[in-house]
Amino acid sequence: MEEVKLQKPPKKYMNPYLAGVLLGIVILLSFYFTREGLGASGAFKRGVAKVEQIIIPSHLDSEDSAFHHYVTGGKDPLKNRLVYMIVGVFIGGFLSGAINRRLKLKLEHSPKITSRKRAIAALIGGALFGIGSAFGRGCTSGAGLDGMAVLATSGFVVVAMIFGVGYAAAWFFRKLWI
Amino acid sequence: MGPLFTATDEWSFVIALVIGIAFGFILESAGFSSSRKLAGVFYGYDFVVLQVFFTAAITAAIGLLFFEYFGWLDLSAIWINKFYIGSAILGGGIMGVGFIIGGFCPGTSACALAVGKIDAMLFLGGFIGGVILFDAFFPFYKGFYKANNMGGALIYEDLGMEKQTFLLLFVLVALASFIATAYIQKRVSKKSEKY
Amino acid sequence: MSDTRIIKKRYIFMAIVFVDLALLLVLLPEKQISKQIKPEKLLQEINDNTRYFSTDDVAAKIIESDLFIQPIDVRTPEEFKSFHLKRAINIPLDSILNKDEKGKFVYDYILNQEVKSNILYSNGTIYSNQAWLLLRRLNFKNNYVMEGGLNKWIETIIKPQRPPVTASQNELDKYSFRKAASMFFGGGSVNVASSESSAPAPVIKKKAMKEEEGGC
Repeated sequence: MEEVKLQKPPKKYMNPYLAGVLLGIVILLSFYFTREGLGASGAFKRGVAKVEQIIIPSHLDSEDSAFHHYVTGGKDPLKNRLVYMIVGVFIGGFLSGAINRRLKLKLEHSPKITSRKRAIAALIGGALFGIGSAFGRGCTSGAGLDGMAVLATSGFVVVAMIFGVGYAAAWFFRKLWI
Repeated sequence: MGPLFTATDEWSFVIALVIGIAFGFILESAGFSSSRKLAGVFYGYDFVVLQVFFTAAITAAIGLLFFEYFGWLDLSAIWINKFYIGSAILGGGIMGVGFIIGGFCPGTSACALAVGKIDAMLFLGGFIGGVILFDAFFPFYKGFYKANNMGGALIYEDLGMEKQTFLLLFVLVALASFIATAYIQKRVSKKSEKY
Repeated sequence: MSDTRIIKKRYIFMAIVFVDLALLLVLLPEKQISKQIKPEKLLQEINDNTRYFSTDDVAAKIIESDLFIQPIDVRTPEEFKSFHLKRAINIPLDSILNKDEKGKFVYDYILNQEVKSNILYSNGTIYSNQAWLLLRRLNFKNNYVMEGGLNKWIETIIKPQRPPVTASQNELDKYSFRKAASMFFGGGSVNVASSESSAPAPVIKKKAMKEEEGGC
């Protein structure tokens, strides 16, 4: 932290194991109340589907769209719990950032790379994650975390692949981080 | 007996919002709003992802089985994600590459965006672009996407185990990974101090 | 880090808690998950008569080919073979609680209904009521009993008695319905046994999960 101490520095992060237990309890409650777990990517997919519904409804109505089932029977793609959940994630993240004094507009990157490089990497990484989570029927939280919590095969396979391939590819992209 | 609401119940929207707030709050508090911290898991300097992730998974899994035992929750009624072999393996692999390049996953990027991370905004932009791409070329891999549907497969059934036995093994593996990562993290941070 | 030890004491404590909880789950005795109904509620349901379907109702539903009705014959397979209601399936009383090797009820997918209504019947109502009681105790839903059983079925639907001339219009209407139903079920003739040959046996299949997009 090189900035002048005009305000108090950000608080330390929560103990990871404590955070894990709390997160586990949240997942448990989610299953108890709504029969489903957490999810993040679903909301964005539904957002895309909503825009498609407005711009090119014919595509969404055909079987050629991966999101066809979001609108079958005249359903509104945004009328889904995952959409509300992602709104909650924004609120919760903001609250925690505010309480712990971490609200700050910045582009975080390794000192060895430029902001520009980090920006491009983030874009590409995001695009890959978008494609991957579509194939994997969920992202790290929806497919991985929920899947492991309910001991689903899909969850363990997806997590093993994310971390396995991540470690395998880590060496090639080490310049981005260390 | 739970689950108390179905996914289409209006109440489940309200509950989803509250659960989302808790989810986002915990992610941010644990440091998941920092891509450098997240990427640390792949380079051995910070294992917070693995620690939070596996602790959450074993806590929830133990909790679910206890809930079932006490008769509070009907585990046969909860959602189990479908397992499409090829699609899940490919998807997980692509996500792994996306993770190492982008440094986020969708949930963490959402809460990183909430605290003002510009890279998270770009990641989410890319994510939406990826989703659009996937949908645009969907007919080309629709067959693959829908092939080898194993339904809501459960890992202990596939391995021919009792679920309690599997869970115990899972907990032991998770704890072993915590110990191992603690040593690795210490060694890596020592090494970097030498520079 | 202020504490230089890699594994702190509280982490050992955490690990012990996790392992103990998981071990406990392994060691806990198998328990039939108690979804059972409360005795007071069961008593109340035994005493009210909402579980009964009259033979006329059953006949009407079968004639209309109402697919939301599933007659279930709880008598022995031999009795079932010699005579049963149209579209009925046979789940003998003594096998109604059969379980598979995992301890799940084999007929759960039929007998615990969300959509259809099951109508249990036997010759009288003793066995069908016993079956109903067993199922209700497990909190299985949508099971009903055909009032009077097959005896009453024969008496009212297959061989209806003409009411006396002094009978009310209501009763005459009922009679004409029964007369028609009797025709439908091949009644009139005493030999009803061979009128229905195909005896659909219940197929045991895994309960299909509700199709719904979940996850993330």
